[in-house]
Amino acid sequence: MSPVIYYFLSFTAINILMCWAFYLPYRVGQLHHLVVSCMMASAYFSGYAARQWSWPFALTLLVGTAIGMLICLLPSFAIGDAPCFTVVIVGLTVLFIMKTAIENTRALGGTLGFFGIPQVNNLLLLAYLCLAVAGLLIYRIDNSRLGRAASMVFVDRDAASALGVDVKRLGMLFQIIAGGLAGLAGSLYAFLIGSLFPEFFNLGVIGTLMCMLFAGGHSTMWGVVISVPVFEGLHLILPTAVASWLQVIYAVTLIVVILVLPGGLITKKMLVKVGERFRARPQTVSIKGGIKE
Amino acid sequence: MRKLCKSLGSVLLAIALMMCVGGSGALGAPSSKVVVDQWEIPFLNCLTGPIASIGEYMAWSAHRAADEINQKGGVKGKPIKIVDLDTGVSPEKAIEQMAKIVNKSLVALGPVPEACIMAAMPLAVKNGLLCMIASTTYEYQSQFFPYAVAWDSGSDKTLPPVLAGWAQRNPGMKRVVQFVERWACWPGMADAHAAGLASVGVKTVEIEVPTDAVTFGPLVVRALAQKPDGFVLTCTSEKAAKIIIELEKYGWTDKSKIIVFSSADDMPLYTTGREKLNGVYIYSYLDSQMETERWVSFKEAYKRAHGGMEPVSLSTVYYDCVYMIKEALENTPVTGDPKKLKEERTMIREYIRNIQNFEGVQLTWSMKDGVPTDKGTFLFIIKDGAKQYVDYFKPWK
Repeated sequence: MSPVIYYFLSFTAINILMCWAFYLPYRVGQLHHLVVSCMMASAYFSGYAARQWSWPFALTLLVGTAIGMLICLLPSFAIGDAPCFTVVIVGLTVLFIMKTAIENTRALGGTLGFFGIPQVNNLLLLAYLCLAVAGLLIYRIDNSRLGRAASMVFVDRDAASALGVDVKRLGMLFQIIAGGLAGLAGSLYAFLIGSLFPEFFNLGVIGTLMCMLFAGGHSTMWGVVISVPVFEGLHLILPTAVASWLQVIYAVTLIVVILVLPGGLITKKMLVKVGERFRARPQTVSIKGGIKE
Repeated sequence: MRKLCKSLGSVLLAIALMMCVGGSGALGAPSSKVVVDQWEIPFLNCLTGPIASIGEYMAWSAHRAADEINQKGGVKGKPIKIVDLDTGVSPEKAIEQMAKIVNKSLVALGPVPEACIMAAMPLAVKNGLLCMIASTTYEYQSQFFPYAVAWDSGSDKTLPPVLAGWAQRNPGMKRVVQFVERWACWPGMADAHAAGLASVGVKTVEIEVPTDAVTFGPLVVRALAQKPDGFVLTCTSEKAAKIIIELEKYGWTDKSKIIVFSSADDMPLYTTGREKLNGVYIYSYLDSQMETERWVSFKEAYKRAHGGMEPVSLSTVYYDCVYMIKEALENTPVTGDPKKLKEERTMIREYIRNIQNFEGVQLTWSMKDGVPTDKGTFLFIIKDGAKQYVDYFKPWK
């Protein structure tokens, strides 16, 4: 496989994971930027464990995921049912704190960066395996009582509470799962690139992921499955002169999608309609002179 | 018969002469048939994003070198073509751009800057592609040896002599405050500054400059509370200029006791600092006042292309890189044949890693295993917005 395709597919898998990490808490109306910190912490941990302690890949992946969940667990006691803006602020603050902590930790390379993370064979295959497992989990959640409760919380938090939905516990659960997904993505990211730099995890990452999520559609997990490869592939297929305007293209796309299709390219409604069309063929009924035949 | 013998003798002589000429050619330069129409050299550069202005002048210098070489007939009769690939300061973009070239290029320029180096270089190393990451420091380059070459012999060897030299020009200086912005290799450079100052008995106190700092009054007040005899500025050019302005505002008048580090030798320093910079020291890797024909020609062309702006510290590195690649292509039997990619990459890499007496646009230096052995640093004093040469310091052994 050509390196271009390899990296395109790998980054697509990692970004879909990250978009799902954003998607899940957004089901209850929370923009959970904390997941970028989870990704960062997990990436550095995995890199360090693999290089310094020679931990096997599977173990670093598991512990990386657990670290992501743990990072989300602690603040979730306070922001499990917090409004969207509060969750955004907490996410950005923790990202800033974590970045500063890494920049000041010599063992993690400080501002210079962390080098020499060992290579993993069949990483692409493993990444897609992880993606499939994560996708299955989110699909199950979406189509369960939890998913329906989340839809209700998204529309009207008070009404959801009145119907017996524990908004805080639901928010906490989604935040923790999102942390796990981001932790998984972080571990894969570290092994894919082979080195880490604090600037890899900046506000630009949040912007790009937000763009992918909202352009693809935030009401279903399938939106990002379409939007991520499109955005990832743009700078590969566009001529250099046009690709240089990629940030502008991202921004304009996001604005246009929000204005024209507020739910994104793929919405839950759209999927329901498509599903209905495939599930039951409409009966053909001919009407003659107003009398059904 | 005699006539026949004479003409036969002439023919034989001519053949012998031709063989000699042909033979000497074969001895002087490796005989190999070039199979490419042009030597494509990809340049992974930051052409968009927050430091696109730096990327622009790096690209300009690489293209200038290629144009000069092509005007003189190219390399082995084929022109050099610099192919610009934008990294946009995005690690993902950098790695994908590297993926495009890693299986076909003989050698590459960049990536630029550090975030992209960190992301894309492991892929280059994995595939055995030499990348000229000349815009960064030894601390990064050495991580990717032998698939990168160093452009200096390490901050801990190159920088201390300059700082020691500056301190010796200011006798009585015992305590210095260093403003440090924690970005990439700058903390390491700050440590090297402190080591140089310590070697002449000057103590350094560090004050961190936050990356997102907008006002510098409180930092300057904190620095002055240390009762220092001087200041070292290890931060971006604009921040350095603003700190100097604040220092003056708080009563600091002796500018000769301020030194600015090389990475801040960029346009915002001069446009923001203006006359407040008079008397401030700065160290850099190029001497703009040098008067060699080649340098003057480069400088004038640069100024024409950049609205009269003087060449800055990093503006020449990729110019030299292209000439270094040219020398390697000329002096090795490289053909550009894709079937021989691996061995030809090795030839170029080994040639460059141990290049001897390479004539850069300013300095002449040699490399040993990818590290310059005799490349030093210039110390200047700023007068009326221009740098005036003070001294040249060779690195510590």
